[in-house]
Amino acid sequence: MAEKKTTGNRASIRSQDPNQRRVLDSMTRHRRLTRQLEALEKDNFQDDPHASLPQLVKRLPQFDESNESGKRRKKTRGDHFKQRFRKNFQALLEEEDLSVSEGPNYLIACAEPSKFPQRHFCAVCGFPSNYTCVSCGARYCCVRCLGTHHETRCLKWTV
Amino acid sequence: MSTLVLDNGAYFAKIGYSHEKVSVIPNCQFRSKTSRLKTFTANQLDEIKDPSGLFYILPFQKGYLVNWDVQRKVWDHLFGKEMFKVDFADTNIVITEPYFNFSSIQESMNEILFEDYQFQSVLRVNAGSLSAHRYFHENNSELCCIVVDSGFSSTHIVPYCRGRKMKEGICRINVGGKLLTNHLKEIISYRQLHVMDETYVINQVKEDVCYVSQDFYKDMEISQLKGEDNTVVTEYVLPDFSSIKKGFCKPREEMNFTGKYKTGEQVLRLTNERFAVPEMLFHPSDIGIQEMGIPEALVHSINNMPEEMQPHFYKNIVLTGGSALFPGYRDRVYKEVRALAPVEYEVSVVLPLNPVCYPWEGGKLLAENPDFEELVVTREDYEENGHYVCEEKFDV
Repeated sequence: MAEKKTTGNRASIRSQDPNQRRVLDSMTRHRRLTRQLEALEKDNFQDDPHASLPQLVKRLPQFDESNESGKRRKKTRGDHFKQRFRKNFQALLEEEDLSVSEGPNYLIACAEPSKFPQRHFCAVCGFPSNYTCVSCGARYCCVRCLGTHHETRCLKWTV
Repeated sequence: MSTLVLDNGAYFAKIGYSHEKVSVIPNCQFRSKTSRLKTFTANQLDEIKDPSGLFYILPFQKGYLVNWDVQRKVWDHLFGKEMFKVDFADTNIVITEPYFNFSSIQESMNEILFEDYQFQSVLRVNAGSLSAHRYFHENNSELCCIVVDSGFSSTHIVPYCRGRKMKEGICRINVGGKLLTNHLKEIISYRQLHVMDETYVINQVKEDVCYVSQDFYKDMEISQLKGEDNTVVTEYVLPDFSSIKKGFCKPREEMNFTGKYKTGEQVLRLTNERFAVPEMLFHPSDIGIQEMGIPEALVHSINNMPEEMQPHFYKNIVLTGGSALFPGYRDRVYKEVRALAPVEYEVSVVLPLNPVCYPWEGGKLLAENPDFEELVVTREDYEENGHYVCEEKFDV
């Protein structure tokens, strides 16, 4: 009698009971996509290599009286620049208060959605895909890529 | 009185005196894991012996200058003794800034240039205006042109008529060189080798290996073939900074199609990534960004212009910016715009010899223009009237 091969190197991919896999709803999928797109805007994916070093004492205390007033003035100006100019992009954009001004501005200049339909590519190999993962909505092109997707990425981190 | 022309980009700063040649220098600071004490500024990049896992500190965010600390350090280095040795009291500066620049950033820049560095006079322009100036200088008979600036942070499409930009037609696509490199890092990290930290190396890979395909689906089919028929696949040898200083593509004869690699070399096998990554400029929806691609946005922008001007815009499309250097870019833009434009209009797309430095060359021509004195704001002017005079004079 032939034994059903559930263990070993060729476990059937469809042996996962559909009822046991969580299905993400569209809001979660949308949030995941936004997260991915924001991650693409990052400058660096690693941490600053200098972050863990102790801060070196750059300015040794000077006891020369004649220099003190000049130095103090220079110091406040440097700090003034640092405090004023350390806003990030989002804060500057809100400060600009674009709803008040007329005419074209930064927000209006953004390109509109395309009139052409969106093309989908397999998340694993990059070739054009035809099928969608039931649980997370990722695209795949063939059953082998679906297997790789389930093992590596599907539902591995959730928003 | 010399004039310094500085095209202050988010990735590269193109800087030079108007009577000399341009230098292209990274506009950021670097930190490396190996040399833990030093922060490298701008072109000190060449001094770094081990550029793996290089940490970038960029003063720009989304194309706008937000971090003045870093920018001032880079400028101090560029204007100082090692680089251009600027004599501030005797120098005019032509500096570029992004479109729709925020007023707080404009004011900060005025303050820093006039009060901190104390230049004699300042001219702030958009980079596209310099490109348009250069274009009109070469083609005197043309009235309008449309500049496509595909840079690091984003791609801007700006129509110009008689030297003035048309604000209603400005279109911004949030896809730029940074996005392309980060996307390439992600897909290589998932499919082959973890390279998420290696921005510098993968940027080099992108520049060496990626191209714009003329027929996307056909190239997709070719890249799926096995063996000798597959003309798309290339193997790229990664640098290890001890014996191999810079990565390179393996020539076709040496490529091993059966998939077994020589020991000692780290090799990336790139197939559809080669043309799928630049495809994002033409179809940002491939990755989920709901925006138009470059050809569509061009046509959309031209359609917002008055009807009499539209044929003139189609005849004068200029491609600038770093991402214009991809092989096949110009032909693809021409093909798509020709397909979308009305049949009676003539379409002509120009790719200059050096798209990265094209605005700088425009700045150089502007500095030599006899009308230059009337365009700038001098330091005396600024000290009397403040920011108001800059707001009035500079059309940003």
